Amino acid sequence: MATASEDTLTKVSTEAATDFVKTFYPALGSNRESLSSYYSLEPTTILFNGNRVADGAAVQEIFTNQMSPTHYEVQSYDCQIINKAYPTILPGGGLKPQSEMGVKDMSFLIVVSGFVRYGEGRDQPQRGFSETFVLVPNPSAERARGRKDWLIESQNFRLVV
Amino acid sequence: MKTMKSRRGGNDRGGIRKRGPTRTDRDGDMDMDGGGARAKRNRADKSALGGRAAGTGAGGRPSGSNRGQPRNKPIDSDLIQRAIYSADSQANVRDHKKKTGGDLELFSVRGWKSSKAASNRDGGLESLIAFLERRMNSFIKSGPRAKITKSRTEGDTLVAFVRPDLAGHMLRINNNVFAGAHVTVEAYTAANALDQELAAADPVPGSTADTKTKMTTILGKRFFPATKLLDLSKLADDPDLQAMGIFSNVSTKSKFFPALMKVWELGFKTVAERREAVESVSLADNKLSNISSVTTLAQSFPDIQYLDLSKNNIKNAQAMIGWRWKFRDLIFLDLTENEISSDPTFKDTMLKWYPKLQTLNNVQVRTPEEVAAQKRTPIPVLPPHFIDESQVGENFVRAFFPGYDNDRNGLVTSVYDDQSTFSLNVNTTAPRAGQTETAGWGEYIRKSRNLDKISHLSARMSRSFKGVEQIREVFNALPPTRHPDLIAKAEQWLIECHPVPHLPDPTGQSPTGVGGLSLMVHGQLEESVGGKIETRSFDRTFIIGPGNTPGGIRVVSEIFCLRAYGGHEAWSPEIQALFQVPQVAAPGPVPAAAPVPVATPAPPAVPAAAPSGNVAEGYGLPRPGKSDTQLQQEQMVAQMSGKSGMTFEYSEMALAGNGWNPELAWKNFEQLKVSSLEGSPFDSPWNDN
Repeated sequence: MATASEDTLTKVSTEAATDFVKTFYPALGSNRESLSSYYSLEPTTILFNGNRVADGAAVQEIFTNQMSPTHYEVQSYDCQIINKAYPTILPGGGLKPQSEMGVKDMSFLIVVSGFVRYGEGRDQPQRGFSETFVLVPNPSAERARGRKDWLIESQNFRLVV
Repeated sequence: MKTMKSRRGGNDRGGIRKRGPTRTDRDGDMDMDGGGARAKRNRADKSALGGRAAGTGAGGRPSGSNRGQPRNKPIDSDLIQRAIYSADSQANVRDHKKKTGGDLELFSVRGWKSSKAASNRDGGLESLIAFLERRMNSFIKSGPRAKITKSRTEGDTLVAFVRPDLAGHMLRINNNVFAGAHVTVEAYTAANALDQELAAADPVPGSTADTKTKMTTILGKRFFPATKLLDLSKLADDPDLQAMGIFSNVSTKSKFFPALMKVWELGFKTVAERREAVESVSLADNKLSNISSVTTLAQSFPDIQYLDLSKNNIKNAQAMIGWRWKFRDLIFLDLTENEISSDPTFKDTMLKWYPKLQTLNNVQVRTPEEVAAQKRTPIPVLPPHFIDESQVGENFVRAFFPGYDNDRNGLVTSVYDDQSTFSLNVNTTAPRAGQTETAGWGEYIRKSRNLDKISHLSARMSRSFKGVEQIREVFNALPPTRHPDLIAKAEQWLIECHPVPHLPDPTGQSPTGVGGLSLMVHGQLEESVGGKIETRSFDRTFIIGPGNTPGGIRVVSEIFCLRAYGGHEAWSPEIQALFQVPQVAAPGPVPAAAPVPVATPAPPAVPAAAPSGNVAEGYGLPRPGKSDTQLQQEQMVAQMSGKSGMTFEYSEMALAGNGWNPELAWKNFEQLKVSSLEGSPFDSPWNDN
């Protein structure tokens, strides 16, 4: 495994966090049918205000069929690398060999602070939220356009104001 | 229903009269409140940073100087004079600027309140700042573009911070026209700002200190601490004001109210005390045809609940447009004997403007339940999800926050190692509770790694801290804090925990890494800022795992987010109860199209972390073959569970045992809860334990 320098690691992780935040929150508002594509196939924990949700498909189902229009605004976010060499299980089974790992084989933590408005119109109250994600490398080998390099392994959303 | 206690007069003046018109403390601040508020403050002193050493962590800062000192001292008029003229007076202009703005120069911008932009949601601030930047840029031939680096408002004044090289350009904007109004731009000092307001309201030039004393006396007579009422009705008939000659001249008349508000603000040591002092303001019977002369009321009393504007000449909503986005907590508004009240859209407009308004012109226009329902979220608020492993998460939290408050050095040594990473970020624009004002962010903002704002790689690197020594250094540079007690103040915390797999193995032995926990803690902390106790809210996420530390547990990654105080209502499940019960109890079949709460827990993905209820898929959802009664009962169970935090099984037992009467079941639950739940955020008869 190539040893990446600290600045490469910072660059890759913070840019990945930015990409995620800038696409995921708009998707919660207006591209809900894409939501399941943000999730790992076997996420460990997904929570919304303490309500447990099974997986990305269930999140997408809830947002497409049960949620009123919502508008999210991210006001502050940050990330930290958790594991520089995350053990990815390849689709065919078995661990990805260390020799094939690159800088993108990291898992990382994202914490977001912002507000959400439920319902239509700017008159709705702004509810502050805090949301924590752990993102892990996408194990899939496909090279399709729009492929995500990282997927949600766990997520915890809480209204805090 | 609480009603306005105005105009009832005289016998509830509390201690004010007995103790003379005003008190000043050692700092020259007036103390206008009566005995009740004093008791409260003393209590706050004990629980806050006072009492115990505020700076027990290294780098301890001076804590509040005179807090806890007896305040019953006789009035000292020198102090008032000093408050106005000393420390920050003209001679020290330069020092003062340095102190508050770093290398930046401060300018006051006035006059924009009468511009067309003032009716914007933000009072026109955004457009004003854009205007100032645009004007300055038009003067610049080359070099970096002009920017208002930061700004704040003080009454009708925008205080703008700019680079010193822009000072000349700023002053050139003086008297330019912004959205139809001439704006005044001058060098700023805090002392000048008050002087200007007072001087402008001064009927006799040069008698500023005297004016301040007189205004203080007038406020003292009109403030009723017991009912938290400030009665500013019939000002023109006030013999003291008449004696001052305030209303004999058009110019002092218009400046009088802002100056009065300023004097009021100076009477309180902290913003919190000031907010606490008054719930009701009466401006009745003042011949107001619009609110422009009294608009600063909204800055001094942003969160009053009762406002009496009766017996004025307010014609229409346009005459009140400056308060469109103010007074967000207003529950009572009286505009009787104003023309606006006969406008057919009056009620709708006021309901729209003030989301918590319940009584308009002495008629109920909204119920408390309706107000609560506006806060509803499509995702019900459940108690914390706390899946621990051998109490590792719980013990970590129990040790971490007292350690952070009292012994950061010891804390860093015990739970961080050379691979631990830490960073913090400040959400400076977060929604807040009421209209809380926030003290500056000081040391936090210099270390804030909000990636939305910090885009350069070098800054992103230097604001992330790795290893024991770097983390020790940053912890010690941050202000001393005091967190509420985890047990006694459990409601102020929300702590969640769940396992995370595949953390790096500190021994390097396991290629698949080791398991750990993700801990998400939401709460509040107090700190001493310039002698005042400030309360801030925070969100703090830890990834912890096994490590070669004294306790065997290390922090792998930690992100600490600070924001203005936002209260703890948002995670209190009780709030939800207000509207959920009537919904469930509604007679008749539940229509199939009714919105289904997301509460229905999905089948667990990981057996180890399964909630203790065995809940079938589709529970609470209409299904072919499911009777209306069953559906209704399932939904009641889901609601009861969501509200109480009990498992589905217990919720079903509770409801069935009470003849499916949710109110009765809830009452029994509450009684049970009191006897068994100690109030700890980790307590166990409920979900997930």
